Amino acid sequence: MDITKTINGKKLTFSNLDKIYWPEEGYTKEDVIDYYNAIYPHIIKYMKDRPESLYRTPNGIKEKGFFHKDAGLAAPKWVKYLPLYSESAEKEINYIICNDKPTLLYLANLGCIEMNPWNSTIHDLDKPDYFVLDLDPSEKNTFQQVIETARVIKEILDKAGATSYPKTSGATGIHIYVPLGARYSYEQAKDFAHLIAMRTQELLPEFTSLERSLSKRGKNKIYIDYLQNRKGQTLSCAYSLRPKPGAPVSTPLEWKEVKKGLEPTDFTFENILKRIEKKGDLFKGTLLKGIDMLKCINRLS
Amino acid sequence: MRAIWSGSIGFGLVNIPVKLYSATQSSKLDLDMLDKRGHANIRYARINANTGKEVAWENIVKGYKYHDDYVVLTDDDFEKVSPRKSKMIDISEFVDEDKIESTFYETPYYMEPTKGGEKAYVLLREALKHHHKVAVGEFILRNRENLCILKPLGDVLLLQKIRFAEEIRDYADLDIPKDITLKPAEVKMAGALINQLTPKRFSLDKYKDTYDEELMKIIEAKAKGKKITQPKFKIVHNKSKDLMSQLKASLDTGTHTRKKAS
Repeated sequence: MDITKTINGKKLTFSNLDKIYWPEEGYTKEDVIDYYNAIYPHIIKYMKDRPESLYRTPNGIKEKGFFHKDAGLAAPKWVKYLPLYSESAEKEINYIICNDKPTLLYLANLGCIEMNPWNSTIHDLDKPDYFVLDLDPSEKNTFQQVIETARVIKEILDKAGATSYPKTSGATGIHIYVPLGARYSYEQAKDFAHLIAMRTQELLPEFTSLERSLSKRGKNKIYIDYLQNRKGQTLSCAYSLRPKPGAPVSTPLEWKEVKKGLEPTDFTFENILKRIEKKGDLFKGTLLKGIDMLKCINRLS
Repeated sequence: MRAIWSGSIGFGLVNIPVKLYSATQSSKLDLDMLDKRGHANIRYARINANTGKEVAWENIVKGYKYHDDYVVLTDDDFEKVSPRKSKMIDISEFVDEDKIESTFYETPYYMEPTKGGEKAYVLLREALKHHHKVAVGEFILRNRENLCILKPLGDVLLLQKIRFAEEIRDYADLDIPKDITLKPAEVKMAGALINQLTPKRFSLDKYKDTYDEELMKIIEAKAKGKKITQPKFKIVHNKSKDLMSQLKASLDTGTHTRKKAS
């Protein structure tokens, strides 16, 4: 079933709307597009002016998706894009910049269930607006351990005088964002994240690890991933849907919610809008005043 | 294991959907290059050979030296020769495996049938076993055309990448003597020696890469030696101290700037 619509004066054709994306739940591609149509005013704040890594899952959540590089050229003329050199692709590729609703829905129609914007904007691509610690549990970790790790990180960051904002990853983990105000290089952001990760791992050696290699990490260690703070690395952004069972949404949290009882699957595309209505946008601090890294380090040493 | 490719084996009217997995892994120890003073990691930089200055990725192009001059290639040029996208391992013929010299062998991959392909997968595997043949085919991996054979290996079908004939060198240039006569007694003696060293049951398992093993022993001994003087958490702490002072230095030198007005 194809439908052509004009949105904000941009003509857009939606294809295969009835395609089942979540076979168990029966959710379709149309549900994804409807979701992004509804969440647009919130999610756009975290996508605007950022190169977008397109992770496409056009056959639904049961099949592995793929990264669509160089999407800019194939897009309709009104889609904004920026040619950038990609180290991983070893060539210049055209990144889509999603600044409006038609572009967001165009991405959803390509089969992007999740949205993966850069940590920096086109205003200064070399200076991230925040750094992120990505808590990625292994098979044998409990979510309670993820919560505990997040709480330790919060303690260390508090001690450093750094504000931090947690969100569910939408899968099994938690992401913790610390605003930097686009004042520091990616290298500095990564080093600071590494430092916090090391301190955390020292305090929780039994079930956390900084070992990147899966085989060396073991099946009972939470990976504290600080390496997402490199240019061009992306995580699914706040309010992004995830191609996982139950259609979860990466959902900003209050720190007081990060405690026993929280489940990674609590927030889905069916209840997120109600939650925003009640709690407001808990993530806006990530784009506001950044920390003073030097002061933070001095407080830690 | 993570699949590196998924597609189908195609021959005749039959399609067998499969996934490919690497059949090998490196057993080399992962050593990092460090600065002797302070153990900072070494990173690579791309340097302009004339100016000695680092070159940003966006200013790097690829060129081919052609009659003393460089012909620079653009994305469009690469695009023109890249093969059509295909998700098919096209089987063209079947052959006795010993017709393919081992010099042709490249990386092996395991194949796993995906939904709907189970029966045909087993059928192909058993038929190859029964007729002692391997299938020869072509497929596209990472934008390049590849030649391969499919052969049964126990329960699994193995995809063995093989080289194109033009990649194999001729050995005609080597000085291999042709006119040497051997005495029957010499041949017999060599044969006896071979027999002596031929075990009843052969297994490659007993051959180990002892170099890495020995090196690992040294690493472990050295790490242990350190532990005596410094408890483990201290070592970690020092590492974080190093990082901290390194980061501090970078912040102090003012390599950061205020956000540009946007």
